[in-house]
Amino acid sequence: MIGFDAILNAFVAALGFNAIMVVLGGVVLGYLVGVIPGLNRSVAIAIAIPLTFYMSAYAAIAFLIGLSKGTAAGSAVSAILLNTPGEASSAATCLDGYPMARAGKPRKALKIGLLASVIGDLLATLLLIAVAIPFAAVALKFGPYELTAILLFALVFIAGMAGGSFLKGLAAGGMGIILGTVGLDPETGAMRLTFGFAELMEGVPILPLVIGTLALSEMFVQLDHYRRNRDEKPIGLGKDRKQDDLSWQEFKTILPTILRGTGIGAFVGALPGLGPSVGSFMSYGLAKRSAKDPESFGKGNPRGIAASESADNAVIPASYIPLFGLGIPGSVSAALLVGAFMIHGIQVGPLMLRDHPEMLFTLFSGMIVASILMLGVGWYGLRLFAKVTSVPSHIVIPVVIFLCLAGIQVQGYGTFGMLVVFGFALFGYFLKKFDYSFVTFLVAFIVTPMLEMNLRQSIILSGGEISILLQRPIALTFCIATVLMALHLSWSGYRKRAELRAA
Amino acid sequence: MRMKLLTTAVISATMSLGIAGQLQADDFPSQPLSMVVGFGAGGSTDIQARVLANVLEEELGQPVNVVNQPGAGGAVALARLANNRDEGYTFAFGTSSTVTFGPHATETSFALDDFRYVAGITVGQAAIVTGEDRPFSASWEEVVEYARENPGTSYATQTALDRLVIEYIAKQEELDLRIVPTSGGAGMAPLILSGDVDFGYSGGTHSGYAETGEMPVLLGLDNERLVAFPDAPSLREAGYDINTGEIRVIMVPSNTPDSHVERLAEALEAATQDERFIEITEERILMPVTYVPEDEVTERLNEQSEGYRTLLEEMGGVPDDA
Repeated sequence: MIGFDAILNAFVAALGFNAIMVVLGGVVLGYLVGVIPGLNRSVAIAIAIPLTFYMSAYAAIAFLIGLSKGTAAGSAVSAILLNTPGEASSAATCLDGYPMARAGKPRKALKIGLLASVIGDLLATLLLIAVAIPFAAVALKFGPYELTAILLFALVFIAGMAGGSFLKGLAAGGMGIILGTVGLDPETGAMRLTFGFAELMEGVPILPLVIGTLALSEMFVQLDHYRRNRDEKPIGLGKDRKQDDLSWQEFKTILPTILRGTGIGAFVGALPGLGPSVGSFMSYGLAKRSAKDPESFGKGNPRGIAASESADNAVIPASYIPLFGLGIPGSVSAALLVGAFMIHGIQVGPLMLRDHPEMLFTLFSGMIVASILMLGVGWYGLRLFAKVTSVPSHIVIPVVIFLCLAGIQVQGYGTFGMLVVFGFALFGYFLKKFDYSFVTFLVAFIVTPMLEMNLRQSIILSGGEISILLQRPIALTFCIATVLMALHLSWSGYRKRAELRAA
Repeated sequence: MRMKLLTTAVISATMSLGIAGQLQADDFPSQPLSMVVGFGAGGSTDIQARVLANVLEEELGQPVNVVNQPGAGGAVALARLANNRDEGYTFAFGTSSTVTFGPHATETSFALDDFRYVAGITVGQAAIVTGEDRPFSASWEEVVEYARENPGTSYATQTALDRLVIEYIAKQEELDLRIVPTSGGAGMAPLILSGDVDFGYSGGTHSGYAETGEMPVLLGLDNERLVAFPDAPSLREAGYDINTGEIRVIMVPSNTPDSHVERLAEALEAATQDERFIEITEERILMPVTYVPEDEVTERLNEQSEGYRTLLEEMGGVPDDA
């Protein structure tokens, strides 16, 4: 179906000077964002999307992918030197990274984190390439019945997995669905939930929604946090390199941990909704439980860092498997990429394999390039990034707020865009405060138009006969799985509450 | 020292502002432009728009940003454009039916004369298509026969206009069809290719699947036979008295100054001679590139608008879902 020539051309395209510079820019910027405490991947992508409007489609996506990979690796730096994870998924890295750095081995801790990140990322990228293509080839055969069933399943699954409570997950998903139906009815053209705003005719604009809920609200949270923790001082890199470096021998002893962490991360990433935090903590827990010396974990065990960071980074490429394979974004960063793809005129999902194969392969090649660049950037930038950890919040927060608002303004959303952005910033703040799932909300918002269209098509095509599902094995399987999943999640939620009441 | 720096800064700021002001007066365009596409990403209008934007970028010396505002067959984008006041910096690239048919069919906040039609650049080649390996082989008569014997034969629609056309055909041929909504060409294609839907409307997406024979063309929806598929009869030849000939036009709000419209028209005329634009249009979308100047295209649109009004009266308004 796809010639060897095409794949070769894709690689060559990804190795062009401009292509590499774009990815490098993404990785470096991502690294910086990751290193700065309180800035996370979603904030970075949300702010960067408007910057990519004037790039070509490939450059834009490659930049964003480089960015998201860079943040994952960079967030380990602040976790290790500052005991403040750049993002939640590096929290497990703090457990051993910070004690190790305090014990006078910051450089060693950073290098373990870096190598684990790069290996986890690279292997998971290769897995993505190996799995997504056959996946997409099968998914091309899916019709509206199958897609409706799969999308329903994905929504319930994400609602159940992403947050703590299934009910809260459903509520967050429900809000996403309601917002996703705003605009014109796809069949009759009737206005829905626009409240007379012409601006809402095409739906809630995605960019202000994303920047508001993800980036701006995070700054509110950081402001809260900033008032409480003003005097953290980062650990600097020592002068004595003999004591503080990673030897080949040591690296070999932690390699198995890295490989296992990669496996766990890739598995967790491929399931929509779980996200990097689950991956890194799962991997950390498993490394500790299976170790001969579990008591040394939390006191600076190198395997603790390796387990957490390898899984953290492996999640990201793996979370693109459902994205490229089925068109379902399984994580916040994947959902943001859907938006970026749409803006650049590409329908992300199995159709990419048919309509833009050269694009898909160039992207994959670009991802491998990003992994390798990550190693170089992290290795040679160690000293620089260690310094960046000391950039104070009172500089970071206003700059980010400015960038958020400028992004909306540059895109011409005007006053209406400002209202939307602040509305969603407030909304996002309360989502965070009361622990409602972001992933569920955002994915539901993005998937709703797709789900609605496929559901309508199924109903019309079947003439309203729902029994047609019985003749569609894949659709039937996913419908049953959806029901079982919902039952299981509500049952286990009920039991948890019962236990709490009994205790 | 500090004072001197400040003065320099003030002077240079004033100077650059002055220059910017002058540029705005004389030289349109002096800032990035937006090309609004009223259809989703990945369809034929969108693919063509993106190449056109690249070419225009060079002709106009400013970035041209493609913005997708899909919905209601292009009407969402035009409703927004009608209220735009930026004098040609935002313009729409779209199909003529959105203005010739839309205002009659639905309650739109715009009418045909709310816009100026800078130029027509492509003649539409919409078609009714089917997929491979269907129980009916690729001819229109056989589809009609099949649909008559099989009530519930499915048809993929994209716009209110093609919905009206198929309802008109169904009425004339006494067919009972299931009409399935899709989100533009990129939504229609997988349904036809996978065999989930029997036949459907295509604005131009079919050309991508023409060489491989994956999407046989049954009926041409232009006034003449389709350039790339001369074997398929036109709507009139098949016995339906409707004029659905589409023109792809560049539209700006009617209050756009003459000088700006002229500058855009000039760039568009050059674009229709640009190899990249010709290639994407004639070889990928398979539509003939033709430059139709403002007054001529406006006249043709007015005629078509009148034709649709009559058709709608005949059909008793836009068909309901029931």
